Amino acid sequence: MDMIPVRCFTCGNVISSSWEDYKKRVEERKKEMGTNEIRVGDILDDLGIKRYCCRRMILSHVELVDALAKY
Amino acid sequence: MMERDRKVIGGSETKIDIRELSDRRAKFILSGVSSAFANALRRSAIAEVPTLAIDDINIYENTSVLFDEMLALRLGLIPLETDLDSYILRSECKCDGGCPQCQVSLTLSAEGPKVVYSGELKSSDPKIVPSDERIPIIKLMEGQKVYLEAIARLGKGQEHSKWQPAMCSYKNMPTISVSKCNGCGACVEVCPTGILKLEDTLKITNELDCSLCRLCEDVCESRAIHIGSDPTSFVFNLESHGSLPAEEVILRSADNIKEKIDGLKKCLKKLS
Repeated sequence: MDMIPVRCFTCGNVISSSWEDYKKRVEERKKEMGTNEIRVGDILDDLGIKRYCCRRMILSHVELVDALAKY
Repeated sequence: MMERDRKVIGGSETKIDIRELSDRRAKFILSGVSSAFANALRRSAIAEVPTLAIDDINIYENTSVLFDEMLALRLGLIPLETDLDSYILRSECKCDGGCPQCQVSLTLSAEGPKVVYSGELKSSDPKIVPSDERIPIIKLMEGQKVYLEAIARLGKGQEHSKWQPAMCSYKNMPTISVSKCNGCGACVEVCPTGILKLEDTLKITNELDCSLCRLCEDVCESRAIHIGSDPTSFVFNLESHGSLPAEEVILRSADNIKEKIDGLKKCLKKLS
């Protein structure tokens, strides 16, 4: 999977529209705290992603499009 | 809204108490019905209410990193705002290969470098647009191009989940009773939803949020708290995916059950 899935696999809720916002806020927080070990639960709450099926979609996603683009 | 206070078989009264209603979300208590009826309503909302979704795709050019199939799948999952009064299911349409009554055409033309969002889909019907404009479809690098035509059709959730209009779930109405509480507060600490509060006596703040986990029952040494559920009352939770307003999904699913029962009635009349 190289781009964030459009919907949650389990419940079908559209989660991809929140991905870029989430990524930006996580990066900002990492910079702010000066560490990679940060808490992100409140960011997901804020984006309205409350079920754990939808949360794992965002939490476990690894964006690979840029890595694949070379080929 | 559905017909309120209607008598049902068995003598109990059907009631709907709406707790929350917005474009995307609905929470209501349906009481005086059997669990079979509640489940029929849920299943009807998930699988029987039609919505529009991209079903067929003609790719003229795709030099992106995504395969054609993956691109088609992503496009299919984008919820489209649906006007059910102006479109009909293809199986009910009299045409052969698709007509403006049963399908909509959307085109996408983009060149990198950029991220292509669902908002860039150009529809032939201005009413039928993606309900969310910020869904990333594909990321294009320098010189990569995508040019395609997509055909959206009405379909039902029972065929493919891309046509599912909403997420719908219910639970039995929780009933919490407390007697001879000694005020130790153990249940307050253990409750994951935080609905119990200890003031002079034990107070229940929001009974509806109880998840019926019964952790409080296990932890209570004096067996003072009891969690039960009302078998004829259901707390419904419906979340639209964007193609139809939450209210319309419920109304259409109720209409669908009615239609099916009428169909069954006719069949039975023929037999007798």
